[in-house]
Amino acid sequence: MRPYETIFITHPELSEEDLAELQEKIHAIMSAWKGELVKLEDWGIKKLGYDIRKNSRGRFFLLAYVAATALVKELERNLRLNDRILKFQTVRASLDLSPGVAKTSRDAAPSEKVTKASDRPPSLPEQILEEAEKTG
Amino acid sequence: MKAQVRKKRPFQRRKVCIFCADSGMKIDYKDLKTLTHFVTERGKILPRRISGTCARHQRDLTTAIKRARNIALMPFSVVG
Repeated sequence: MRPYETIFITHPELSEEDLAELQEKIHAIMSAWKGELVKLEDWGIKKLGYDIRKNSRGRFFLLAYVAATALVKELERNLRLNDRILKFQTVRASLDLSPGVAKTSRDAAPSEKVTKASDRPPSLPEQILEEAEKTG
Repeated sequence: MKAQVRKKRPFQRRKVCIFCADSGMKIDYKDLKTLTHFVTERGKILPRRISGTCARHQRDLTTAIKRARNIALMPFSVVG
């Protein structure tokens, strides 16, 4: 389990249904592969540094999560299949960006992770509750 | 002779790396405000001899800029 950040750019004219579907998909993957979603930020429509598939603008999303590699693979596969997604990039985030890191982590740098976990104990239950509300 | 010509350099060399001087500054590929200080108008990465960053921070900066380019936050090149 490691902290990751994925930025994905969608088509600027993303409809509400598409967005909802996308969010649902992300939540589904997170729960199915036991990842912990840290945040999903919508940066809004921004100008791209260069055109991607003839679009000069795109809507940026930042997704931060703690997960195993299998989840990243699955998530990227799904992003690749979605033709509303122009581009995505996953980066391994630095440790300080990941609150409430899962306890099962075996590659943890012990001192840092322990303090992080104790700093934010309620995050995991909250996450589960939120998800339960959404699904139930 | 050469020394006299050298005097009129457009850029003044910064003495210290600003990331070392200000430890609160983090290099992040999402932080465009900072990154744009370290590229030319054409989008090229400024060399260390001009920006004055230390080797470690220049390396981090380069990675950050390349990541930003990859996800289209920054251009690879600006034509014109």
